[in-house]
Amino acid sequence: MIKIDSKNTTRKDHITIDFFYEQTKNRFNLKLFTKDQDCNKVIVDQNLHRPGLALAGFVDLFSYNRIQVIGNTEMGYLKILSKDQRKKSFERLFKFDIPCIVITNNHEPFPEMIELADKYKITIFGSNYSTTKIVYLISDFLEDQFAPRLSLHGSFVDVYGVGILFVGKSGIGKSEVALDLVERGHRIVADDVVIFTKKGEGILMGSGTKLVEHFMEVRGIGIIDIRSMFGVRAIRYQKRLELVVELEVWDDNTEYTRTGLDSKTISLMDIDIPYVKLPIVPGKNVTVISEVIALNYLLRHYGYDAAKKLQEKLLNSMKNHSRNDRHVDYFEHDFE
Amino acid sequence: MIENKIKIINNAGLHTRPAATIVKLAAKYKCDFYINKDGLNVNGKSIIGVMTLAAEKGSEVTLTFEGEDEKEASQEIVDYFKRGFDEL
Repeated sequence: MIKIDSKNTTRKDHITIDFFYEQTKNRFNLKLFTKDQDCNKVIVDQNLHRPGLALAGFVDLFSYNRIQVIGNTEMGYLKILSKDQRKKSFERLFKFDIPCIVITNNHEPFPEMIELADKYKITIFGSNYSTTKIVYLISDFLEDQFAPRLSLHGSFVDVYGVGILFVGKSGIGKSEVALDLVERGHRIVADDVVIFTKKGEGILMGSGTKLVEHFMEVRGIGIIDIRSMFGVRAIRYQKRLELVVELEVWDDNTEYTRTGLDSKTISLMDIDIPYVKLPIVPGKNVTVISEVIALNYLLRHYGYDAAKKLQEKLLNSMKNHSRNDRHVDYFEHDFE
Repeated sequence: MIENKIKIINNAGLHTRPAATIVKLAAKYKCDFYINKDGLNVNGKSIIGVMTLAAEKGSEVTLTFEGEDEKEASQEIVDYFKRGFDEL
């Protein structure tokens, strides 16, 4: 089994406002209203907050360290206030160390709001999206950013749409299997260093690193670039992890699955992923077997389990005391 | 298990050539060898892995050795780090 300890996992504890803006301005149509903000201010909480009550004056338990979203309701309330009351309200809000404010539905911030925000160095963004949509988008983005990341040593390949991670000792031939699979029309996600992130319940998404992309080392050749060598059809940037295949030299003392009736799993960040231990012996084509593993996974996924099916047939046959006869009763003059 | 915290001291940092030497040194030994930098843990026997760290001058990495010949492996590899990859 592959070894995973706390050293393999990392988690971001903050992102800067600058990073947040760079990453989201095009995706969420964000525009910047303030000029004099502190770009190195950080976001540490992945939840969002709507500061309706804080604007109205109730600041006990105010979750000020979250991104504050101002929508139609807050804007509607602020509009009925006089300019002085609004100023007071903003002043009360901005005294807290707020990471940033997002105004939705294309609302324009009040001039005094921008003035005070600049004074307190608080960033104000605006978006033309609705509050529901922006809350969903930003939450999803922050959840991904703050999710723990697991870095593993292996080759991650999309085989017939199934994300297979090949693990095993150094030099056992993970990269060679990946290369062979690419040659047969499958797509490589990453080689050597793969980073997995939990996405939602029970889903692990994997990708390579920005630096290495689809470069790969093949013993005896050196470093090659899969993308420039095989083209865009041979790569993908991300894939859901669905299977872990561990390659190992055949060991007489290890028991390998013979029926496939009991499927094993491996726990990665508390998610159980189907796991296959594949011994390597002379004359065994690991690439073809990997394709078969992927196809078998797909068959099971769509409700057909070959091992169970044969077991069923066997039990039926025993129940009916049927003779184990030839598949064809009588070769009726068909000698093909 | 042997753990060593060590600083990169040569000007060019841990670039391709030192990375190649490290994996070559590590391949001689049976023990597992990992390098960790800022939470990224890579297999020290994989050149792409070692390069992924992008460890520049002054950065700190943790070397972990685990296995029967961990002592010999750690001595030789830590020594190579301390020599600044022979680039001083």
